[in-house]
Amino acid sequence: MAAAALRPAILRRIRLSPSPSLPFAASAAAASHPHALVRWLARPMSSHDAHLTREEVVDRVLDVLKSHPKVDPSKVTPEAHFEKDLGLDSLDTVEVVMAIEEEFKLEIPDKEADKIDSLPLAIEYVANHPMAG
Amino acid sequence: MASRPKISGIQKQVLALYRGFLRTARLKAPEERRRIESVVSAEFRDNARNVDRRNFVYIEYLLRRGKRQLEQLKNPDITGLATLEVKK
Repeated sequence: MAAAALRPAILRRIRLSPSPSLPFAASAAAASHPHALVRWLARPMSSHDAHLTREEVVDRVLDVLKSHPKVDPSKVTPEAHFEKDLGLDSLDTVEVVMAIEEEFKLEIPDKEADKIDSLPLAIEYVANHPMAG
Repeated sequence: MASRPKISGIQKQVLALYRGFLRTARLKAPEERRRIESVVSAEFRDNARNVDRRNFVYIEYLLRRGKRQLEQLKNPDITGLATLEVKK
């Protein structure tokens, strides 16, 4: 109640400098939580609040592979190589990598996509991609 | 092929073209997308099986033809694949 009464008085006296509000808020937060600013600066530049866990990436990549018509689901492991272990040809590999793109809402450039020929590489790519969702 | 040969430049182009078709198919209606995917996949697989991999002249020709067809398919008004089915 007292605070409510004080509010207009305080607001009248406060002058906000026209600096961007985000760093201001962050430094204000830093005063009460010393690590808040550090955390705010260190957070990944992603539109998603919670980044995917590696476990989640692995599970979903495995699922994508298992659902490809040419793949024997029992052979799918996080270490499998598309061609040597799963018997996929280069066209299948394109399909699989495209399916992974779709699953994680990514667009993998050709140069990168050409290199992905195994589950470890696919998992690595998605796990390191800040926009994977 | 005992040891797996490195992917050649021309093979990369073929795979990039395939990827281009699949990407473009995504932009079409679901029904159409499935049809495009199955026709395109059949065409690529058929050629992969039947075209001599040393016949660069013919492969280059197929690549050019494919790129032209892909450009047409990118047109949002185009939903059909009649041109792809003209063969043999």
